[in-house]
Amino acid sequence: MIQKVLLLCLSISILFADIALQGHVELQSQAYLNHPQGKHSYNNTAFAQVEATYTNENLEAILKASAQGDYYDLKSEAEKNRRSFVRLDEAYVKYDFDDAQVMAGKSIRFWGALEVDNIVDGFNPDDFRSELFNMDKLGVYNAAYTYYTDTGELSFILKSGEPDQKMAAFPYVYYFFPANVNYDANLQSEKNRYRPTIYLSYSGSTDTQYALDYAFILQNGYDSQHYFTSDAPITSPRPTFTNHVYLVNKAMSYNTLVVGSTLLKLEALYADVINDKTVSDYYHLGLGVEHTLTQVYKNADLGILCEYYKYHTLEDGKYTDLQLFETFQNDLFLGLRYSFNEGDDASIIGGVIADLDYAEQSYYIEYESRIAQTLKLNLDYRYIEPSQTTLTAFNLLGRHQRLSLKLGYYF
Amino acid sequence: MKKFVLLALSSLSLFAISNFEVAQKSDRVISGYEDASSHIRMILINANADKRERLMKMIVLEKEEGDKSLMEFLSPADVKGTKFLNYEHTNKDDDQWLYLPALKRVKRIASKNKSGSFMGSEFAYEDLSSFNVDKYSYEGEALEIEENGKKMYKAYSKPISKYSGYTKQVFWVDASTFLIQKMEYYDRKKELLKTATYSDYKKLSGIWRIGRIEMLNHQNDKKTILIWENESIKNGLKEKNFHKRVLKK
Repeated sequence: MIQKVLLLCLSISILFADIALQGHVELQSQAYLNHPQGKHSYNNTAFAQVEATYTNENLEAILKASAQGDYYDLKSEAEKNRRSFVRLDEAYVKYDFDDAQVMAGKSIRFWGALEVDNIVDGFNPDDFRSELFNMDKLGVYNAAYTYYTDTGELSFILKSGEPDQKMAAFPYVYYFFPANVNYDANLQSEKNRYRPTIYLSYSGSTDTQYALDYAFILQNGYDSQHYFTSDAPITSPRPTFTNHVYLVNKAMSYNTLVVGSTLLKLEALYADVINDKTVSDYYHLGLGVEHTLTQVYKNADLGILCEYYKYHTLEDGKYTDLQLFETFQNDLFLGLRYSFNEGDDASIIGGVIADLDYAEQSYYIEYESRIAQTLKLNLDYRYIEPSQTTLTAFNLLGRHQRLSLKLGYYF
Repeated sequence: MKKFVLLALSSLSLFAISNFEVAQKSDRVISGYEDASSHIRMILINANADKRERLMKMIVLEKEEGDKSLMEFLSPADVKGTKFLNYEHTNKDDDQWLYLPALKRVKRIASKNKSGSFMGSEFAYEDLSSFNVDKYSYEGEALEIEENGKKMYKAYSKPISKYSGYTKQVFWVDASTFLIQKMEYYDRKKELLKTATYSDYKKLSGIWRIGRIEMLNHQNDKKTILIWENESIKNGLKEKNFHKRVLKK
């Protein structure tokens, strides 16, 4: 209901107010050369996003909404992927004072420094109806006060109302559960889901020979890591899986150190689970190096990327990384980014993510370019070699190979 | 005869001007603007004469120890809202951040290498950083020449930084105004790489400001034109207008 009212407000404000509008419409076509039996071998998706910004001196109001249409949702009831939606992503106001800012509403935040997986970026949950390699975030209701120092900022953030995470249905290739599993999107929370989650963050930059961007965040409230329970054994005809969220005290940090043409990155978090008996305390660590070689061929730059991730639960007899579907538990990423540095902003990025525990590899190569002033083309190829012996998320997906073509119109 | 030669030599030294003095005077006539705000139109033209255009909004704060600047992309639409914040330093690498609005992400940029292309154009980062005479070495005297009926000084400088993409820059300066008219850039192989032609100077509050630079790359026949629009100076901009917080605004 709230979403409908806010979307109505968005439409009215677009019609009558003097506001800045921007957005894009995308058409995506994917072919799955390897896919599990019974799942679709291709898919087409249309996606649109519009953002309206009203600015009046120190006040800024933002409304952002998205809509997605899946080919199979339109095609037939039996084959539905249940990926189509109209979604309010953001609706918030912020006011800037000389040394401070206050904001309130539904918004999306980004925290992190690494390229492949930002382990501290858990403010917003993912929308499970998005495609696996391009997860959309769900906006969350929060209010924040930020005080700015000369070189940094101190923020107090209060978040309330953990959103349900709807999921695509079985025929969709990136639905991970077996066909007989029914997923109940109603989120089960340890306390009332409106119990606030509190964040205190400080971030800044040093003015030293080797510059450092740093951020520290303390959290009390619902964790970004969730877990699933089943009301019946998975072998039963129709078990229902439920999504759970629990309370933690958490410390997080993300940092980037500049050493010449090299960026050294660190993301780390430690979670102390407060009451939940099924989930262990855990830590998650990510280390990264990004080195850029300029003008390797004509104007082109080459970025060399290397990242390592380690996730570890600290208590025995509780959910493990496998049961929590944690894919970056002992993983190494090696990648290259080739930026043509021409007028079309074309680039090629590719690499491999190797799971060092379960002998899995995920390879990808992606090309992106503007093909006219308002059109953007994106091509990608991915290949996943899953674990043959361990029940990982990729094992559930099976050997996977896909080609994807995306064309976007921007305005 | 001896007296005549001595007189001629002394008059020569009286009017001769060194390369360093030309650069210094050239710097002086465009300094003192305190801060500037403008729109910059960037036109990229490839060897087949195909054009691509970008529009940016830019603010600059003039500082003794290195300027601060904030650039926001207004077009093309897919990069609209992307911001680039730069703190120049004379004694260490610049501090640079890029804001990507689609991800709401502020990304640190390594700025060691100054020779990389600026946003796919024929301008390198070092071409667009604020001019500072201390970044170059100068030897000898400038040549006094006449081009298109205009008296000019032809001078040259060499970049001090080993990370520069150039070995030499030759510049033509109007002898009456000391405004740069043309600059040639020689690459690491000491071959002519690019020529920048400066035009459309205008005086704002007593300070000369550039209106247009056309950069021609002789090695790939590509060209980039920068046009400054609606520029204003001495707007009262402060340090806080260049705080990292402005990236997410």
